[in-house]
Formats: sequence, structure tokens, C-alpha cells
Amino acid sequence: MTKKRKPLGILQWVIMAILFLITLSMLIPLLHILARSLSDPSQSTAMGGLEIFPRGFSLMNYQIIFSNPNIMPAVLNSIFITLVGTLINITLTIMAAYVLTRPGLVGKKILMVFFIIMMLFDPGIVPEYMVIKSLKLMGSQWSVILCQAVNVYYLIIMMRYFQEVPQDIYEAAKIDGAGHMRTLFSVAAPLAKAGIATLTMFYGVVRWNEYYRAGIFISSISKVPLQVILRRFVVDGDVTTLVGTQNLMDYNELVANLDFTALQYATIVVAVIPILIIYPFVLKFYTKDAMAGGVKG
Amino acid sequence: MKKALHRMWKDRILYLILAPTILYFVVFRVWPMINMRLAFYDYNARGPWTFAGLKYFKLVFSSPAFGDILKNTLIISFMKYVLLFPFFVIFAIVLNELRLKRFRQYVQVVSYLPHFLSWVVIAGIWMSFLGPSPTDALNEILGWFGVAPVSLLTSKGAIRWVLFLCEGWRSLGWDSIIFFTTILNISPDLYEAAKMDGANRWNIIRYVILPALVIPMTTVFILNLGFFMSAGFDQVYNFTNNAVNSVIDILDTYINRVGIENAQYSIGTAVSLIKGVVGVVLVLMTHVTSKKLTGEGVW
Repeated sequence: MTKKRKPLGILQWVIMAILFLITLSMLIPLLHILARSLSDPSQSTAMGGLEIFPRGFSLMNYQIIFSNPNIMPAVLNSIFITLVGTLINITLTIMAAYVLTRPGLVGKKILMVFFIIMMLFDPGIVPEYMVIKSLKLMGSQWSVILCQAVNVYYLIIMMRYFQEVPQDIYEAAKIDGAGHMRTLFSVAAPLAKAGIATLTMFYGVVRWNEYYRAGIFISSISKVPLQVILRRFVVDGDVTTLVGTQNLMDYNELVANLDFTALQYATIVVAVIPILIIYPFVLKFYTKDAMAGGVKG
Repeated sequence: MKKALHRMWKDRILYLILAPTILYFVVFRVWPMINMRLAFYDYNARGPWTFAGLKYFKLVFSSPAFGDILKNTLIISFMKYVLLFPFFVIFAIVLNELRLKRFRQYVQVVSYLPHFLSWVVIAGIWMSFLGPSPTDALNEILGWFGVAPVSLLTSKGAIRWVLFLCEGWRSLGWDSIIFFTTILNISPDLYEAAKMDGANRWNIIRYVILPALVIPMTTVFILNLGFFMSAGFDQVYNFTNNAVNSVIDILDTYINRVGIENAQYSIGTAVSLIKGVVGVVLVLMTHVTSKKLTGEGVW
């Protein structure tokens, strides 16, 4: 690179300043929530919304939410729904995408029209609720797991990944006498693993973040995922569900007053941690090309 | 015909592999669609439903709330899917113009993140940011300029703009990826040719980059119209409160409230049916128009 580096013009600096402010609007609220959740409850009620360092470090808020008998089961429910749900999502998506990308498949056009209709037309929550009722899945976590088993949009993305696998490889597998299941799982899937990894993460995030159907279909507090409990506290202002009746009595004697906002933030942190764990992999698999692209022109 | 049947028999394993997915859609999508006939029936939990004709549609259209709800839906959708739309394109172009690559990557890493947070968490974050107390983030900033504290989340005049900004905050990075990668894939020859003709940065954006973005812009725009009747239920559902509900009550929150919370199943279904049909017609119309005008559709 012998290109001479020109100094950055005013416009570049202005753009960078604006972009920096935008990123601050994303970072500061998150850091503030983390900071307040890690603060000493007796000091944190006075914290300003722009403070990003804890006041008097303490894990008290986390102790309180995890000693609430509702939280730990909710976390485990979320993990169960996410793991089983994502496994079903990705398995069905891979299988369907493989079939739909086989050359010369009879009825492919009709099938694609069918899937597009499924994508475009949403029957709405009430008719769906009726089906869950008819299937006797009300109150069961399987209602939520099964009712969102395949996303057509992700299915189409998966098909694109399979289309990029060179056709010769399928021919070779066929000559070796491999059946479709073997070709799919030991030839095609490994070659499309970037796509599978990406979609597994997308599905996983959707599963982890699900709250609406879980709130309707699963009513029992011991079976709902964390997001449902979080919603009751954040949106509906239901303190008892989050903190627990026993805790409310116990801790009020220890601390003059609890910082309910900080308790809410601690729960938000718990709900966000799995996303942050997944996030670097999303960047690595899905946005790698976008992030690596050099400046052209 | 015989050949096709023969081929299908030969591929029977393939259809078997596809079967679970088809079964899923039949049970959880087609069956609900069949259940939508409930819009024309009186619900009965124990026995068969009794035919009610257009009773529930008349009820919906004659209710004074429905007009407002439809209006709210269209206004919020217009803000989110039309007004916000250029910003994703601008963001992608601006990212591409950044010369400090490290800084660009930093912006990308941060701006893609909000897309992955649940709407419940986002509501929590925004409630904290826009809280009414003078120490909450926005009011503290306003305080530096001597502006009195505001409570935007409970302000009828501001709440739609809060939804608009929040949607932008969440999607700015992620939804611009498609435009950004399109820009990255523009052939270097085009830039060279433009430079030979003496084009400056603005000319390049105008005559090289923007034309390349027409195709993804069309696709995204048509797909967005598919969401037009939904207006982003999850966001509204988590941001709403008694003070502002009348200006942001949309079709889906209405369906949820009437159809699920009040168990008025037939009314909920009737509204879903109206919403679904209008949504599909919108997408098909735009798809056909766009195919005629630009040769580009969604499929």
C-alpha cells in the first residue's frame, strides 16, 4: 500500500461524531442498567440515568432475585424452551431446505407457493389459540415450542446456503450409494455449516426472547419463561412476582428500602446475558463479510 | 404425468423428509386459517358454533373505536416503514464512506446489538432512559440546557415519535446490513469508470451507489408493506400505558385485548381476517406494480 494517507476532512469528523453519539445512546442505557443492578441498594436509588459505574458495589439485587422462588425455575424454563425449540427449528428447517433445493423435485413450485402463503397470511392469535386448545396443549410448554417450529423466511435463507453447495458433491455421494438422509447430514449439512450456525443463533434468540405466546398459552407461574416474569415487572409493575412475597418481608427488615428499579435491572441483565454470549458468534458467522469489507472507491 | 409420478415415487424419501414441516404448517397455520370462519359464527365452548353471518363485521365497523385503531395502525406503520426507511439507506452509505475502518467496525458491533434484545428488555431500557424523574437520562441531558423534565412515555403528543425513534434505535444497524453489503459488492470497475469521468464522492454516491441500491430497496419496501397492518405489535404492546393507549392502540393490540383478554373470540377473529386480507392485498399489489415498473419483485 503506497497510497498516501490524506487527512480526514471536516465531514468525516462530523459523521464520526454523530455516529459516536448514536452508539452512546445504545451503550449508556445498557451500562447504566448493569451498574445500577450491581450497586448497593441503599445508595442506588439516587443514581442518575447517565451514571455507568456502580455506587457501592453489591450483589444484593442478584441475591434477592435468585432467592425468589419464581426466578430460577423461569430461567430453567427459558433454557428448556430455547434448547428444545431451537433444535426442532433447525432440524426441520435443514430437512425442508434440503428437499426444496433438490433439482427436478416434482411439485416444487406448488410447495413454494404454499410456503409463501404461510409467510404472508397470519391467521392471528385467536384462531391459533383455538388450535392450541383443541390439541390440549394449553398450560404446556410444548404449546410454545411447537407453534413456532419453522420460520419460512429462515427456510428460504437456508435454501440459499444449500444452493451454494456444488452439485458435483451430491452426484458423488449418490454414486457412493448414500441415501438422502446420509447425504443431507454428512455431506450437505457440513458444507452449509455457516448457514446452519447462523440460523441456529437466529432461532435461538427468537426462542429466548419469546414472551407473548408463552404468557397466553402457559398460565402457571412455575412454567413460564423468564421474559414473561420480566414483562410483568417492567410493563405491568408487578413487584410481588419478581421479588417474591417472602423476600419482600425478609429484606425490608434488613435494608431500609429495596431499590425496585435495580431489581428490575438485575433481571434485565440476567435476560440479556445469553444474548451477549451468542452475539460474538453472530458477528463472526453472519456479519463477517460486512465487517471485513474494505473501503472501496 | 406418468413420468412425474414415477419421479415422485423415486423421490419418496424426499417427501418423507419434508413431511414434518408440511405437517407443522397444516396444524399450526392452515388449521387456524380454517378456524377463521369463527369470524362468521357465534362461539360455543361446548357445542358446534352457530352461524352469525356478518354480525361481527358489522359490530367491528360500527364501533367508534375501530376507526381510531385503524388510523393509529396506519400512522404508526407509515412512520416506521416509510419515514424511517431512508435512514437505513443513509446509514449504510455513511458507514461505507467512513475512512477509519476500526471506528466503522466499532459502530457496526454496537449498532447491530439492539436488534437481538427482546421487546420486553427494550421497553425496560427505554423506560429507564425516558423516565419522568429529573435524574433519568433524558431529563438529565435536558437539564444541561435548562429544559424542564418531561415524561415522553405518558405524553400523547410524543409517544408515536418515541415508538419511531425506538424502532430506529433497534433496527438502524441491522436493517441496513442488506444495503451495506450491496454497496460492498459493487464492482470496483464501476468506481474506476466513474473516477475516470471525474466524479467526486457525491457523484459516486448519486450515480454508482444509489442505483445499485434500488433492487434491495424495492425488496425491503415490499416486505415492509407486509407488516403495514401489524405496525409492530410487540413494541406497542410493551410501551403502552393508560395515558397514551388511545393514540397507539393498533389492530393487534385490539385483537389481543378483545379476542384474548376479553375472550370475544369472534370479534378478535373478524379483525384478524380484515387485517390479513388487507395485508396480503397490499403486498401483492406492490409486488405486481414493482414488477411492472422495475422488473423487480420479492419473488
